[in-house]
Formats: sequence, structure tokens, C-alpha cells
Amino acid sequence: MSINVLVVDDSSVMRTMIIKTIQMSGLPVGRILQASNGREGLEQLNQNWIDLVIADINMPVMNGEDMIDQMREKTETKDIPILVISTEGSKTRIERLKNKVKGFIRKPFTPEIIRDTIIEILGVNDHGE
Amino acid sequence: MENDRLNDVLYNVAESVLERLAFIFSVPAENRDEIPVDSTDASCVSFSGPFNGSVVLAVAGNALSEIAENMLGLPEGEGLSLDQQHDALKELVNVICGNLLPEIAGKQAVFNFDMPQMTTEKTPSCNENNETKKSLAKLDLERGRCDVILFANDYIHQYLSSLPAESE
Ligand SMILES: [Mg+2]
Repeated sequence: MSINVLVVDDSSVMRTMIIKTIQMSGLPVGRILQASNGREGLEQLNQNWIDLVIADINMPVMNGEDMIDQMREKTETKDIPILVISTEGSKTRIERLKNKVKGFIRKPFTPEIIRDTIIEILGVNDHGE
Repeated sequence: MENDRLNDVLYNVAESVLERLAFIFSVPAENRDEIPVDSTDASCVSFSGPFNGSVVLAVAGNALSEIAENMLGLPEGEGLSLDQQHDALKELVNVICGNLLPEIAGKQAVFNFDMPQMTTEKTPSCNENNETKKSLAKLDLERGRCDVILFANDYIHQYLSSLPAESE
């Protein structure tokens, strides 16, 4: 079974870095889709089967936290595991985010932390099923 | 005293983010001239919180392509578009700023960040509103140079002097 991943970040360079990291992680990755803000992310979620969302927070049009809140309101998307990869450094904000998502990684990241966190998340969720 | 600390933190964060995000080893170059921000590629990100300001990242020589190619793991001279190179520079200043503020102001402080932009985009411009240069880190890279500048309004002094001596 392979996992479909949606990567939401306003920086195309950052999306490429994250995608390369997952492709090299040895994880059973299927399709990898991209979006450059929260609104595009929600559109991708409407149109595709996604097992894991990797999301930035600071984005134009719709930020990551609003996207996460809207995902949680819809039956189809409310149980999709989310990993936030962000520059956020405030303790209060990180704690609030951690309550809404399965994992939080601060930029810059190492490939190992991304791989280990994804394994942890999908282990708990058994491939989003 | 406060300025020394700001400078140390700025150098540490800039060097560490360059190394971890772009896999670039940089060397402090305190004695060279500053890079003229107005006539070069520079990205910036504004923030607001206990004090307001912005962080500017200016590059010279071939540092722009060096940073973009390294972030993407591409060989030298890959011919990335200017858009991609600017995207890399904007994300780099974004990550530097996000790592810098908690180091300066403590992890309890909450800041809001604007979108990173190139200083030429001016929509809205970084470092308006009584923000003055508080700290500068000059770094030499393999193929060029980069300067990281912290601008802030004067609330930064009040805020920093209100922090306990050994903040996190
Ligand atoms: Mg972003």
C-alpha cells in the first residue's frame, strides 16, 4: 500500500525540498501533490485521495491554520493526518497547533526528522484508514 | 552589551540556518563593506509583536544562485529561473527570521510575520515606520557574500531589558 501525500507551502523551493526528502525516505509513497496556499490545498483535497497532508503555516490567500480548521470541519477530510512544517517558534502557538495536528517540525529540518515523524504519524493511523 | 548579544545571536542563527537549510558553510566577514541593499538582490520579511521590525537578507557575487542551487541540491550553473532563485532567497530570510526572534525575545514571545518578499517588490515595503538597523551579520559564502540585517523599532530595547537575565 502506498501513501498519497499533499505538500502545501507557498515556497516552491521548500515544496521541492520536502518532496525530495520524502522520495528519498524509503517510505511507500504513491502520488505527491502540491499546493501553494491553504485554499489550493483544500481544492486538492476535494479532488484527490490524500493519506497525509504536510502543511506550512505562513502562506498568502489562506494560511495553514485556517486550512487545518476547515479540514477538521468536513467529514471527508477531518481524519486526514497533518504534519506541520513551519518556522513558527512561539511556544504558545506551537502548543495550540500541536493540539490540532499529528506532528510539528520546525524549519530548517533534517531528512531524518521528516522520515521519523511520518513513520510515527502513519503508524498511529495505519495508513490513514 | 545588548548590541553584542544581538550581534552574536544574529551571526549564530544566520550561519546555522544557512548550514541546515542550504547546506552552505559561511564565514563571518565583519571587516568588509556592507552589501548595498538598494542595488542588489535582497529579500525581507516584516514582523510585529512585542516589538516590530524586519529582517533583510542581501546577497552579492554569485550567492543568489549558490543559495538556490544548494537548497534544491542541484549542481553549480543549473540555470534556475530568477523566480526560483528569488523564491529560495525569500524562504531563507523567512526561516532566518522565524529562528532569530525566539532566540532574541524568548520562546514565550508571539510574533506575526508578513509574507517574505524581495525588497524591490515594495508591497508593502519592509523597514518602514521608525525601524532602525539594530544588528548586522556579514557572511562570506563560497561563491559570494550575504548580509543579514535586523531592523526594529525602539520597543526592542525596552522589551529586551525586561527579559530575565538568562532567557531561554
Ligand atoms: Mg511559508
